[in-house]
Amino acid sequence: MTHPIVIGIDAGGTMTDTILVDRDGHFKIGKSATTPKNESEGFIASAEDAADAWGCTLEELFSGVNVVLYSGTGMLNTLLSRTGRKLGLITTKGLEDMVLMGRGLQAWADYSYADRLHAVTHQHPDPLVPRRRTHGVTERIDQFGDIVLPLYEHEARAAAKKLIADKVESICIMTVFSHVNPTHEKRIAEICREEIKAAGVEIGVYTSHEVRPVIREQSRLNSVLIEAYATARGRMQLKSIENASKKYGFKYGVQTLLSFGGLTSINHPRLHETMISGPIGGILGAAYVGKLIGNDSLICSDMGGTSFDMGVITRGQTRIENEPLMDRFKLNVPTLHLDTIGAGAGMILKVDPLTKKVSLGPESAGSDPGPICFARGGTEPTIADCDAILGRLNPDYFLGGKVKLQVEKARAAFKEKCADVLGVGVEEAAEGMIDMLEADANNALRRVISGQGIHPSEFTLLSYGGSGPLHLAGCSKGIGFKDIITFQFAAAFSAFGCTTADFMRRHSVSTQIDVSGKPEAAALTSVGEKVSEVWRDLADAAVAEMLADGHAREKITTTPFLMMRYTGQLEDVEVISPLPVVASAQDMQKIIDEFEQVYAKVNHRVSRYGEAGYSITELGLVATADKVKPVLVKRPLGKSDPASAHKGIRQAYIGGRWHAANLYEMDDLQPGHEVIGPAIIEHPATTLVVHPGDQVFVDEWTLLHYRHS
Amino acid sequence: MLNKPTAPIRERLIESERLMEQTGCYNGITELSLRNDDPLRFETLHTKLRAYCVSAREMARRISASPGVREVGEMVVAIYTPEGDAIALSNGIMVHVHTMSRFIKWMIRNGYEENPGIRDGDIFANNDAFIGTVQVPDVMDVMPIFYDGILVGWAGAVCHELEAGGITPGGDVALAQERFTEGLFVCAEKVGENDELRRDYVIRCERNLRMPIYWVLDEKAKVASCIDMRESVKSLIDEIGVDYWLKVSKEFIEEGRRAQLARTRQLTVPGKYRGHTFYGHVTEGKPGYQPLGDPNWLYNIPIEMEVGLDGKITMDFEGTQPWGYHSMNCTPAGMDGGMFVTLTQHMNFEGLVNDGAWMATELKLPHGTWTNPDNELVATATSWALLLPAYGVFQRLLSRSFVARGFVEEAFVGQVNSPMIEMGGVSQYGTPFGMAHFECAAAGSGALAIKDGLDTAYVGWNPESDMGNIEIWEQNMPMLYIGRSIVPNSGGAGKYRGGCSFESTWLINKTDHLRLVTSEHSSRVFDNAGMCGGYPAPTCQKHRAVRNSNVFELAGQGRPLAHTPGQNPYHSDFEMRFEGEFELVEGPYITAPHKSGDIFSHSYNGGGGYGDVLERDAEKTAWDVENGFLTKEAAEAVFGIVLHEDADGMPLPDFDATARLRKRKRAERLEKAVPVSQWLEKERERVKHADFAPEVRKMYASAMKLSQRFTREFDEFWQVDGKAVFAKDAK
Repeated sequence: MTHPIVIGIDAGGTMTDTILVDRDGHFKIGKSATTPKNESEGFIASAEDAADAWGCTLEELFSGVNVVLYSGTGMLNTLLSRTGRKLGLITTKGLEDMVLMGRGLQAWADYSYADRLHAVTHQHPDPLVPRRRTHGVTERIDQFGDIVLPLYEHEARAAAKKLIADKVESICIMTVFSHVNPTHEKRIAEICREEIKAAGVEIGVYTSHEVRPVIREQSRLNSVLIEAYATARGRMQLKSIENASKKYGFKYGVQTLLSFGGLTSINHPRLHETMISGPIGGILGAAYVGKLIGNDSLICSDMGGTSFDMGVITRGQTRIENEPLMDRFKLNVPTLHLDTIGAGAGMILKVDPLTKKVSLGPESAGSDPGPICFARGGTEPTIADCDAILGRLNPDYFLGGKVKLQVEKARAAFKEKCADVLGVGVEEAAEGMIDMLEADANNALRRVISGQGIHPSEFTLLSYGGSGPLHLAGCSKGIGFKDIITFQFAAAFSAFGCTTADFMRRHSVSTQIDVSGKPEAAALTSVGEKVSEVWRDLADAAVAEMLADGHAREKITTTPFLMMRYTGQLEDVEVISPLPVVASAQDMQKIIDEFEQVYAKVNHRVSRYGEAGYSITELGLVATADKVKPVLVKRPLGKSDPASAHKGIRQAYIGGRWHAANLYEMDDLQPGHEVIGPAIIEHPATTLVVHPGDQVFVDEWTLLHYRHS
Repeated sequence: MLNKPTAPIRERLIESERLMEQTGCYNGITELSLRNDDPLRFETLHTKLRAYCVSAREMARRISASPGVREVGEMVVAIYTPEGDAIALSNGIMVHVHTMSRFIKWMIRNGYEENPGIRDGDIFANNDAFIGTVQVPDVMDVMPIFYDGILVGWAGAVCHELEAGGITPGGDVALAQERFTEGLFVCAEKVGENDELRRDYVIRCERNLRMPIYWVLDEKAKVASCIDMRESVKSLIDEIGVDYWLKVSKEFIEEGRRAQLARTRQLTVPGKYRGHTFYGHVTEGKPGYQPLGDPNWLYNIPIEMEVGLDGKITMDFEGTQPWGYHSMNCTPAGMDGGMFVTLTQHMNFEGLVNDGAWMATELKLPHGTWTNPDNELVATATSWALLLPAYGVFQRLLSRSFVARGFVEEAFVGQVNSPMIEMGGVSQYGTPFGMAHFECAAAGSGALAIKDGLDTAYVGWNPESDMGNIEIWEQNMPMLYIGRSIVPNSGGAGKYRGGCSFESTWLINKTDHLRLVTSEHSSRVFDNAGMCGGYPAPTCQKHRAVRNSNVFELAGQGRPLAHTPGQNPYHSDFEMRFEGEFELVEGPYITAPHKSGDIFSHSYNGGGGYGDVLERDAEKTAWDVENGFLTKEAAEAVFGIVLHEDADGMPLPDFDATARLRKRKRAERLEKAVPVSQWLEKERERVKHADFAPEVRKMYASAMKLSQRFTREFDEFWQVDGKAVFAKDAK
């Protein structure tokens, strides 16, 4: 093996995964516990674990790599634990209570279906800035950007002075429609900086139009507050990662992952854009594998302990979610769209003794106390317990044998709390529970596909995450995917995905461009000119930023996009422009036609309403620059008999009866091997269950293809 | 069997009802055989159906142009049996699950199978409350689901429209006194074929509404979601077979019925519970009202809830008032809706709820009352005005039962109205417009028995409450927010206070014609009570407006503006800061158009309190005062909590002074107290002489005219001849 060139690290809530990749695409995985107080410790420990697997020292590793890529949860933890900075807020006078009122929906968003209805459970999230440090300043700008009430500078100055006296660490500024006309926010910021200077203190000033110049004031407020609240410590953590890397000889700057799927330096000015990055790696990895195997329509699915995340790539396009939730705060950070349902191996199973209704989750046993079979104090049966009871998990090889599963303990508890209440046998009940989980996931996948307007047979399913392969068969059955793929490195696929990202900038501006339902050619031409002009400006800005980061001009490519809707609608559809510039009325019509197509695909053709006209609410541009990426190694197919990976036989309960299932070591499978179910393919970090009659084929990239019988 | 799938649907419906009558079980299903055979498969299928509904609703929300649907989620979708019983539903405005059921059954009973015919791809719409909805803006669309030529179910969706084309803009048309002024009616009409809305129907909408895009795009959104559910159900049938589908879908409902009965047996104590509330509606002297009825209305809403040993809940409205020439009447469909949404919030929230839950309940709606008018020409545009207080009583009765059974954490003081503001005229774009502003969907909730009510994030009709973004609302109306703030003391006082509401203050901008109208105000009587000693939810606020204000002049000089009406009811902040013509309006606001430079304020309602005010925590109260949920004066006068200020001027509790004050307050209570018998005797004198406001006298007289039971109980309790006492007031 040659030397690694990329280190990808994904620090999750419990484990920090490392993947090392060399120029030829060889890779090794390392794992270590995440260390939230000082993430660099877990980072180095995980890197060391991977370096050991590679057979090199940390110094050899870091001095030789070109890219260190880190995606962590530090900032998210700062937010969740409310341990961020002391903030002050200046906003439009009369609206100061918005920090307490929030969006009403924040009192229940992210709840389970049941709790969303069960009103007594609703509660607002704790505000990030207290009302007492929120000051209003008289001003009003309307939706057209016109100043209706001038800014009362004396009020802004008094507010700044008070916040400085209150010893805030950062001042956030958010006024209504500042994304249309930022004059007032800018002036308030200037006044704050003057006062901060006069007081001789160091206080950061954040304005909402700089952090997130997009409509919806509550989301813009949350974005600016979270940026100010949580990223300062996150920035320090990232700096400590970079310092640790440099200590071992790394020569460049550490990179991190943006929620919309690109890499950026850790000096990125809007770090909250990197806070929802963990699961994003999986989508990027999927896109990458898709190119390799020649399919650009993919569903990637990540099943861990608590959730089942699904990302979609439709004909090479990923969908952007513009209003994600973060710790129940509504934000407007563009994020690669993920559909998530509560479905994972850690889900707690309950049977209501009164109604005999079965519920899966939404609670998860997590890793502490974990499922009953972990024997760490868990008392509630989980899906993982069912997997253990049915012999699908190897009690002696969980995490490579680090955890011994107590199957009998799980069995006894499951019998008492579930099977007996339902009045069925233990195995039947356990398999039924797994079937329910897999049916939930299966159904969720079907829904995701049906939203794309493309037949399932065009899609390839990629399955990963610790529990992904374990439940792959049931999750994917009967949907009619073109292909179903999992990986030897399924448990570290997100980290792998991070290493496949390109450097990226996404710039956009809110616009109000209307096109009538039956436009004249001249109107189309004039709209086209406007659009082209905005794209030109955005391209200049994005390219300049990337040049400043040291990328060569010829390596930078730009792709313009539009956010469009029928005039009067409230939700946009993202349209990737089919043309780089709009030079004529025909060109503009092509863009409208493209919108109509994308719209009908997402929302059903019956809902088209071109008579209402079209509105372009945002124009944007994505600039990317290439990065060295791992390549998966292609090896010739060998013989189909997998005997060289065979490691024994275990009794496993599948499809209503016990089978003598062949056991294989996943890492020992070679291109060309075919495994026929019933079989279980094990890896220290994951397990693939092959149902009777189903087949797994190892291709020349060593990808595992699952084929239903 | 008559209800075999190839029989005419009307016969199947009649047979299904006969079987229910005969066996007491839905469709005669006395045994859940499919569930017993394979309980896990059964559950999985039901979960699947729910998922179809949830995602169909999400798709529809993306299509809608209405902030009501997109921003605050005023929509629900469901899947029905061929006979029109709900099998599974999405989240959202649950009220309508059973109203749509009534709509489907109405079409079946009225021979729609023959004419206009029920075919694959047909779209039927309705917003007639006597057929099955609550009010005109609640427009529903249903589509039949056929499989191999057999009707196997229905997909249905309903949105609350922001503009319905009534006599005033919006949909909750307070001014409507008969149905003819409520807006555009679509009465169980076939509005589309072959999965397409008919062009002539769309044109009718476009020409009869002030802001057709809301209605039209919502129609498209509903149709798209119905098609989506239909296709999902059909592919499910591909998998499980049509016979299994027809059987399992009905078993789901019977199971839902049994689950509701079991849940009631688990959470409540059987017996009779009584409660009531009042609602006052002031319209005297307001422009536009025809002299058809009383100028001011006062409604008594007594409710008897009976929980049977089997878990059946019966609600009886005997003794309430007759319908009237106003917009607050309700139809049995609306009453069903209220029941359904309340049950889903408190007992049936696990998400597998369906029409079975409704079948485990019974409503007794006396004919001729506002709950069941004996005249189908009455207006129902603001049914919520009476419906919400009524189901607020239901919430309190249920809560009493939960507390009695020991489920203290489930107790929830009932909901109240959240007055709505609607508008129309010329928009900031210079075009005609009309809209209901739905930020009212985020009022304060009633208190719980273990904590304060939820502030600014609850309404009874949709537990997923929200007020939406200012920047989105402002795109749809020519007014700018200069204030949106919590109203101090708006939650009913108690050991746990009701959730507080907020109020908005707007500066009218870029229009010289803006009509503002509001509805659902009970300004003189509380429209719901507190519990266990808690105070009621406060009555709603009056409207304040300043016409021709000097706001721009003040702003030019950098002088302070008013951003709320403030805390002094006798001299508002508007009067302190602005010059201009001041308006103070009680009840519905129906006035001449406003124009740029005018100021207007409108506030929503808070919830009632729970427990004795003198037991409230002092530190929590200091936090409330610091954050504007309560005034310092109220803390002392109402709660007996003395606060002093820290160095920053922030309130801190003075525990010793509080203890002293509370001791004194308790002593004062004892001093004021008289034996109940004494008090009753005094009140009886008033009753004997009908010594009440005219509205109260009329209220009793009209109830006695309709209800013998009410009269008898009144007479027995007060030892009077009620009819004689109120004879002069009986018209």
